[in-house]
Amino acid sequence: MNYLIIDKEEWDRFLGNLILSHNVFASVTDEFGQDYELIRPENIPDICYNKPKPATPLKSFFLPVKENVTSGKHSDKPRVILGVPNCDIEALKILDEFYLDKEFTDIFYKNRRESTLLISSDCFGIQEHCHCLSYNIKPYSTDTADLAIAYLNGKIALRVISGKGEDFARSITASRPAGDNTIASAIEKEHNATEALLAAANKGLPDSKKTGKLVMDAGEDVWKKHSARCVSCGACTTICPTCTCFLLIDKPGFEKVKQLDACQYPGFERTAGGEDGLFELSVRFRNRYMCKYAWKSAKFRSTACTGCGRCIEACIGKINKNEIFMELAKS
Amino acid sequence: MVHERNIYKPIKSKLIEVIDESPLIKTFVLIPEEEFSFRTGQFIELSVDGIGEAPFTPSSSPQVKDKLEVTVMRTGYVTEYMHNLKPGAYMGIRGPYGRGYPVESFFGKEVLILGGGCGLAPIRSLLYALEHVKDKLEKVILCYGSKTPSDCIYKPLFNRLNSIEKFEAYRTVDKADEEWNESVGVATKLLDKIKIDIKNSVAVVCGPPIMMKFGTIRILEMGYKDEQIYLSMEKNMSCGLGKCGHCMMGEFFVCKDGPVFTYNELKNTPDIWK
Repeated sequence: MNYLIIDKEEWDRFLGNLILSHNVFASVTDEFGQDYELIRPENIPDICYNKPKPATPLKSFFLPVKENVTSGKHSDKPRVILGVPNCDIEALKILDEFYLDKEFTDIFYKNRRESTLLISSDCFGIQEHCHCLSYNIKPYSTDTADLAIAYLNGKIALRVISGKGEDFARSITASRPAGDNTIASAIEKEHNATEALLAAANKGLPDSKKTGKLVMDAGEDVWKKHSARCVSCGACTTICPTCTCFLLIDKPGFEKVKQLDACQYPGFERTAGGEDGLFELSVRFRNRYMCKYAWKSAKFRSTACTGCGRCIEACIGKINKNEIFMELAKS
Repeated sequence: MVHERNIYKPIKSKLIEVIDESPLIKTFVLIPEEEFSFRTGQFIELSVDGIGEAPFTPSSSPQVKDKLEVTVMRTGYVTEYMHNLKPGAYMGIRGPYGRGYPVESFFGKEVLILGGGCGLAPIRSLLYALEHVKDKLEKVILCYGSKTPSDCIYKPLFNRLNSIEKFEAYRTVDKADEEWNESVGVATKLLDKIKIDIKNSVAVVCGPPIMMKFGTIRILEMGYKDEQIYLSMEKNMSCGLGKCGHCMMGEFFVCKDGPVFTYNELKNTPDIWK
């Protein structure tokens, strides 16, 4: 792989200029943890590199919780999102299939996608529930993002992925091509180390070839047992980088407001006539698993679970979907 | 960018007439402000300004391009508002959405249609479409059931259908009154008295979930194959675009992959009648 190298001080200076013409969001670590923030001159030093996922899923940048989709305005300022982990980059693939489909293209999503440059961050290390590798997703990007970034030995290394990324990289005058394989070898070593950590942490976890059949074969008793701790709060779907269900709400003037919704909320499927296929908690709970691991994988090319582990972290009932899969695999 | 078509934006449509069909059902005659056409069996999202929208299959002929008829049963919040609208009001329509009836694949065949309640709305549109191509069909039989004679909609339709060559129409009610001189009992009972060449036939079922279920079971018992049966499925369709997720039924988005499915496509999907 070919890399461009920039000294860290030069890179920070470049970002300082970039924020004058772009809205730059980057993964930042502070006393509240790690999450995206709008970059200002004063928080450039807080940007974290090569750490696994920020708290917020990438989808939030493309699918706001609530937006007016009839008279909403498109942003004129281009945007750069820096430090996106590959689990979130992979999640964007299914969102693209949904929102950029040729028959019904969502112009708001399309505009945001086109005006955003994505700089993915290679994960050097893992968090407690990271399991991307179990679903055949690497902890570093090779497609869909525009560039990938790594920070090693005081140097920023950029890996160009898309044409848009190439144009962007060319605008960094302080960059130079890596002269030899030293940086590529060092980064590859980090990739291998992260993959080894993922493999060790998720030993025995069924992979994406098995998850669909496991959920389809699981009996009612399994879903009743595990849903007993579910309070239908919808945290798992809200935080999921691929969950995208929404509701259209009418406002005067034939305007429509699109609001994020979740199949885990009671009444999600209820019709005016009273039919509600997801009335029972255990059926509703099962629906999310079937949707992610059986139905969407039959319908879409892209995966509906990228192994980010956020749903496990977010669940107030301490429901761990990996433990459920381990149990299903054993039975 | 902003000039691209916005999939969420409704077409304003003027309500020119409201027809009372039964105590609970009205037909709204609309003139869209933009060009609008549909294939029979496709649906639209019909909205009341600032209140809400809901999915309906137009009940008018797809050949009529200048106006559109939508038959609505008063069932919930949005339909309550619709029933209070008067001619001159504006409604919003989005669509048409989904896969309608594959009328061309019915050519050369006998078509059996089993309908119940407000399910006659999409069926009426289908009947108009079939009438338009009747030279290419062998026979069309409608079996329709409603709760009581006053719940029976499109009353003049039945005499008209029976006067069309190749068309037969039968009605039944669950509970008759003194004036009712037609069949009494559930809609599937009408299937006992029809003559149809099942091998060279297709069956269309549209009605409330309970009728869809037992109607399909009865039609299978008659000897129809899974792929000969067309079901018009009803779900809570919010966007109509295959995106919002509300109408998912197994791997299908009813709004985009349906609402018309063959039984063969759905038979392995759990809970399809719920």
